[in-house]
Amino acid sequence: MPEFSVIVGPQHPALKEPESFTFWVDGDDVVRTEVRIGYAHRGIEKAAESRTYIQNIPLIERICGICNVAHTICYTQNVEYLYGREIPRRAEFIRTIIEELNRIHSHLLWIGIAGHEIGFDTLLMYVWRDREVVMDLIEDMTGNRVSTALMTIGGVTRDISPELVTKLRKGLDLLEERTKYYEKVVSRESTVLSRVKGIGILTREEAIKHCAVGPTLRASGVKSDVRAEDAYAAHDEVPFEVITSDTCDLFGRVVVRVYETIEAIRQVRYCLDHIPSGPVRIRLPNTPPRGESVSRVEAPRGEDIHYVRSDGTDRPARYKVRAPTLGNLAALVEMLTPKGDYRVRVADIPIVLAGIDPCMCCMDRTARFIEPSKDREWVWTWNQLKKYAKARR
Amino acid sequence: MSLNKEEKLVSEIRELLGDRVLDAKVQRLRSIFVTVRAQDYKESIREVAEKYGITHVSTITGADSGQTIDVMPHLSCAGVKITFKAAIPKTFAEIETLTDVFPGAVMYEREVHDLLGVKFKGHPNLARLVLSDDWPGDVYPLRKEYKVVRPEPIR
Repeated sequence: MPEFSVIVGPQHPALKEPESFTFWVDGDDVVRTEVRIGYAHRGIEKAAESRTYIQNIPLIERICGICNVAHTICYTQNVEYLYGREIPRRAEFIRTIIEELNRIHSHLLWIGIAGHEIGFDTLLMYVWRDREVVMDLIEDMTGNRVSTALMTIGGVTRDISPELVTKLRKGLDLLEERTKYYEKVVSRESTVLSRVKGIGILTREEAIKHCAVGPTLRASGVKSDVRAEDAYAAHDEVPFEVITSDTCDLFGRVVVRVYETIEAIRQVRYCLDHIPSGPVRIRLPNTPPRGESVSRVEAPRGEDIHYVRSDGTDRPARYKVRAPTLGNLAALVEMLTPKGDYRVRVADIPIVLAGIDPCMCCMDRTARFIEPSKDREWVWTWNQLKKYAKARR
Repeated sequence: MSLNKEEKLVSEIRELLGDRVLDAKVQRLRSIFVTVRAQDYKESIREVAEKYGITHVSTITGADSGQTIDVMPHLSCAGVKITFKAAIPKTFAEIETLTDVFPGAVMYEREVHDLLGVKFKGHPNLARLVLSDDWPGDVYPLRKEYKVVRPEPIR
């Protein structure tokens, strides 16, 4: 049978950056994959050079909607490193609380999406209903559902009140109960298991070789987490367990994210119990001293790393951002490459793509099918491709 | 805060690389910077990676420093971030690839090539990554001479 090329994207196959994938298929088997990104390159790094450090906070926050907290923490602490100043402990705790709430919302969002991609929409509906609890908590805490606008250079902009702490505790109890239920669902429900076990294989060696990050790396049995290695904010004090799985497939990625959600709930609870009193920000001069700095944060999707260089003016001379999805792209191509007995089918593409949790913009997507030998091509919408995927299984 | 671990690592790297190290400093807890010459860039990184068993490169930053471009791979070594730095002249922006030491560097080198015009010798495929296919070949947006033109407001 002649090879086909199946083009998925650029009107994005999964979360965040719209990417264009070309899958070379032989029948129902994917033979090789090419990836092309850059469709959402907005020139943020260049734009950051023309704005002051304070003006850059809202800009950096808009790198990614879902993990905006990770990016803003990374940015503000990077600038604080330039000053060589520590921020008040209470602010560090508030940063940790909002960061973990953000992780809960991001992971629950992903579990819903994963359910949707495997044709288990009931899971999507339930998870997303419960995700509203954490969205409301974030709104109560910051005034916004998504872009929190809580970080500032030298601390945070809002304090948390005792009433809010009570509210947070109530919400966390509900979230914990529900997440434990989903843990049961994803580890026992055959609808899930038959679609995630043995799919999207990324061995430990491959994950290390391709420098994968975050839950993708941890699901391949590598114990690596920035919160443990390079403890920022209050993570040096808040106890938590680095969740890993050695199944090296999509099942592992689902399990890691579910347990990480439970772990995040515990971390927020610890922070609420142990948060010290005091100010929530210090005032810093507008211009940091000359120098350069590297800052790292464990975003919901993995290691997020920022680099800043200051030339002694009120604007950064260079600002570099590496979001975790780029780190997982090479690993993703590896997951979609068949080797030995491991086959990749067209029907597996949606869930494997979603498996690294690339940031999702909910766009309509199409796939173009080309048969080069017959000069024939046709278009399927993403829904048609998914319908095909579901019928195939 | 004690910086013993970081200072020890800096002195070990100085010892290992000898006079190839132009500068080595501790930036903060768990982050160090090591500056090497461009011609020693790859071999120094390979030696350090072999000694400490480093397999993870977080990203590669390129930065325009006027006459030169700094190429900075960020490596993870037991919780400490080692940032190597090598300066290459803007007029002849070429440096050896790290892809055979760290296969995960493929995307990052393509990105630096795209935005700053650094050629990585020996890279398997330096195709466009983030810029569009019709972007002019000799315009590198992250170089300082590239100015962003602000659009005029419509009246």
